[in-house]
Parts: sequence; structure tokens; C-alpha cells
Amino acid sequence: MHPEDLKYHREHMWTKVSGNKAKIGITDYAQDSLGDIVYIDLPEIDLDVEANSEFGEIESTKSTSSLIAPVSGRVIKVNEALSESPEIINEDPYGKGWIAVLEIEDNLDLDDLMDYSEYTKYVEEETG
Amino acid sequence: MKISILGAGPGGYVSAIRAAQFGAAVTVIESDEVGGTCLNWGCIPTKVFTASSELIAKTKILSDYGIEFHHDISVNLAKIIERKNRIVRTQVKGIRNLLKSWGISLIKGRGTITSPREITVLSGSGDSKKISSDNIIIATGSKPFELPGYPFNGKTILSSNDALELTEVPKQLVIIGGGIIGCEFASIYRELGAEVTIIELLPEIITTEDESISIQLQKEFKKRKITVYTSTKVETAAVTQSGLSLFLSNGKEITTEKILVAVGRSLNSTDIGLKDAGIKTGQQNEIIVDEFLETACPGIFAVGDVTGGIMLAHAASREGIIAAQNIFGADEAIDYAAVPNVIFTMPEIASVGMSEKKALESGLNVTTGFFQFRALGKAHVIGEIEGFVKIVAEKKTDRILGMHIIGAHASDLIHEGALAITNNLTIKQIAETIHAHPTLSESIREASEDIFGRAIHKPKIQ
Repeated sequence: MHPEDLKYHREHMWTKVSGNKAKIGITDYAQDSLGDIVYIDLPEIDLDVEANSEFGEIESTKSTSSLIAPVSGRVIKVNEALSESPEIINEDPYGKGWIAVLEIEDNLDLDDLMDYSEYTKYVEEETG
Repeated sequence: MKISILGAGPGGYVSAIRAAQFGAAVTVIESDEVGGTCLNWGCIPTKVFTASSELIAKTKILSDYGIEFHHDISVNLAKIIERKNRIVRTQVKGIRNLLKSWGISLIKGRGTITSPREITVLSGSGDSKKISSDNIIIATGSKPFELPGYPFNGKTILSSNDALELTEVPKQLVIIGGGIIGCEFASIYRELGAEVTIIELLPEIITTEDESISIQLQKEFKKRKITVYTSTKVETAAVTQSGLSLFLSNGKEITTEKILVAVGRSLNSTDIGLKDAGIKTGQQNEIIVDEFLETACPGIFAVGDVTGGIMLAHAASREGIIAAQNIFGADEAIDYAAVPNVIFTMPEIASVGMSEKKALESGLNVTTGFFQFRALGKAHVIGEIEGFVKIVAEKKTDRILGMHIIGAHASDLIHEGALAITNNLTIKQIAETIHAHPTLSESIREASEDIFGRAIHKPKIQ
């Protein structure tokens, strides 16, 4: 997946919406700041997640962080491969390192999210 | 002075030695083996299992440490039990020798208080013997609590005692009760290869600990693929060909080879003649004692589990020492504010003093410090980065109220907190103490500094 085609949340999550499905993951900046990821607490199937709230946890050798949902929806698929090999997120955060797929409402309002150029600027500002 | 002691567990045998050190003629009556539950069925045997489990966990990551080992690992439970029995035997012998060296007579049999100054002992062969003494210390302990409808049979429905005598690792093990005992066995049997499910009635496991610790343990269990159902109970159980089929209140149905019932302990306070001696008991049949550990019958003291207080071996031993000293006129009371508690789950848990919630409930103005093991070099070196230290302190005085640790060697680290609380130390005093590098103890100093937002190995909060 090309980072240019994704939408971004300020908690360093990305989403790719197609129809009523939204694939989500963490950004390259997030994986890089976390360092080596050693565990991810994946959400349960059918869990209703709400935008801007915690739906899981990710642990790296440096820290533990909450996973914040970029959009609201119901979890319909999780990336099981991450349970055994969470390091995939470090290797390919926008591809094989996706975290979950949510079923979302049709025509969900994505105005709160940033596009690639906005997010890049946001990260630059945050890192000073 | 003649003193008789009912029970040779960590409360009884310790009080016996202290009394003998003070010059008393001491008789200890024990129906089973010296060392009590702690040595024969509790602390020590479970830790032998834990030691094997930890080794299994380490062997799985040998290659990460640059050690290539090209053999399969398999568990020989009979050998673990053999090792356990050998260690217990050595310790039992050690206690027997200690008692002997202090001139304490040990009588095997079941003792009943037949008058405030007399115990009648019934031996296994049916002989009875009367022992008179000036004082009595009751230290009869507790036993696994049997859940109504689930009587222990040692085969499919196990007590914690039975779980130490299995000949094979069960394919599935359902543990009813997510307290200390349940969680320790969950860690043990998961590493030995069983599929483990914990069923807990309350909304959390190990509710005795700070909330942050129980949440963390639940996460660590999830990583290790131990299933935990909280706010759940077993509605019905049916015997099937492969074991048992359980219907849970959360709508789930699970089949399991064995169930371990770990829902608490019942006290050994019945049939020992308490009523006739005028000793008062409470709602859980616990013996009621005053702050000097004396019962309602003057001259008779009680210590340990049977008093229904903190059910820990080291608390019982401390009470045993104090009771013996009080018989000799010390008039000492125990400070329970600093009794450390250790739980040998994987990872370990240890705590001392108040949880944050308890401190707040006591009306104290509370502040907390927090530091994760993974920020320490040593945690990475030993490959055990999970865990943290949490310190609860009083805002106004900086006095340490509680310390809570989950992670490697928590049970050894906690004593810095016990020392601090026993001596009313402040977080500043810990922060100003130089802690050696590289050690996990650095996390305690860092957590103290964190209260002031000054932990060194913690990024600035934006």
C-alpha cells in the first residue's frame, strides 16, 4: 500500500477505506519511534471500536503504548500473523503489518483525518 | 514454663523455637508432617514446579542467547515430583533437627484442647495421651476450600494439593478461582504444556493486588495464551468420556480433562476443642485474638491462617515469634502495614503496603510513581523486559505507603519497599540512595524519582 493513498490519525495510525471496510495499522513514524515491537494485543473479532479511543496495546522493547482507533467500526478481521511475529509491523507497517479490518458505516466522515502531506507536516512539527 | 503448640507449620514450629530459646519446655503436636502446608503442600512444592516451568520458558529462547540446542524438550512430571519430594524431605528433616536441638518434643497425633491447660493427643493407632501446660499456642492452619458440588476426587476435580501429585500434564486444565493459588498454578501448568483457562467470579484476577498489577498480569497471561474469564462462574458441569464439560455463565461451553478448584482455604478450627475452652470464633470459623494474639481464653494464643488474617507463611511465623514473646510478657503487637506479599506467577508479582485504591479510600492524599523494567539495560540483558514498579506515596509527607512490582525477581526486589514502609521512609530517601548499575533495583529508584517527574530513563512528557 502506498502511504500517499492512506488517511492518518494524530495518534500515528493509518487507515485505508474501501467501501464499508477500513483497514488500519500504525504509521512508519510510530514503528520507528517505538523500536523493536515484541507484542501486540490484538482486538477481538466483533469488538465495537470508537474513533479516538483505545482498542489494543502494542509493546516494544522500549515502551508500551495504546492503540487508538482512527475510525469507528466493528472489528471483522485481525492480522493473526502478528501474534507470532509482531516484528512484521517494523518491517512493513503499511503492508504485511496491518493490524485489523473494521466494518464501518457507509459514507463515514473522514474529515478529522489527515492526508499524507498533512501527516508528514504534523510529524515534522511534533519532532521539531 | 511449659508450652504446648498445636501444629508444626510456619506459625507453630517457629513459635516453638522462640519459646524454647526463652527457656520454656515445649511440646509440639502435629497430625501430619512438620512444616505444615507451606513446606509440604504450598510455598516450597509449588516453587519447585515454578523452577521447572521457568527453565522450560528459557529453553525456548536459547537460540536468541546464542546457544544452539538441537534436542527436543519434554516434561517428565514424575521427575519434577521426585525432585519436589526430595527438597521437601530435606527441609522437613531440617526442621525436625532444629526442634530437637532446642529440646522440643514433637508428638505425632491429633490434638484437642480438653481444658484451658490440657491437650489430649490421639495418635494414629488410637492411643490417647494428655499433655498439660501453662500456655497453649494454636497454629492449626488451613486446608483447600471445597466448592459445593465439586468435591475433590484427585482425578478430575483437583485441590491445590492434588495438583502437586499429578502423574501426567493434563491436556486441558480449568482453574476455578483467579486468586494467588489459581494464578500460580496457571503459570506452572501453562509452561508445562497444558491449555489453561481461569474462571474468576470477580471482575478481576488477584483482587488483593493493586489494580495496575492485576491488569498487567491479565495481559501477560493473554500473551502466554492462558484464557481468563472474569465476572464468570461455572453454571453446570457434566462428566464426559474425555473429562468434563463445563457450562459457564458467559454462555461459553468448555471441555477439560481436569478442574483445579482454587477458591480459597477453610480454616482448621473445628474439632480442636475451642468451644469448651471458651475460645471465640468468627463467621469464617477464624479464631478471634486480641492484638497480642491471645484468644478469649487467657493463656491460649493463636497464630497463622487459623486466625483468619493474612494467610502467608511469613506472617504466621512473625505471629508465632510475637505470641511466644508475649507469653514471656513482651506485650508486643504486630505491625501489619509492612507484610510483603509475593506471587510466583510468570512474571512474578510482589507488593507491600497499600494499593493506590486502598490509600485513597483511607482518605490519604496520594501520589504515585511508575517505572517500566524495559527502560533498564539489565532487563534487556536477562531478556525479561516485561514489568514495572509502582510506588504509592503520601503527597504531603512523601512517606511511602505502598510498593507494587510485577516482573522478573519482583519477590527479591520488594524488600526495599518493606524496609521503607517499616521505617517510615520517604520517596526522597529512596531516590537519594545510590542503586547499583546494572540491576533491576534501579527501577525502584527511578519510580521514586518519577513521583517528582524526574525519572532519568523516562522521556519527557510532551
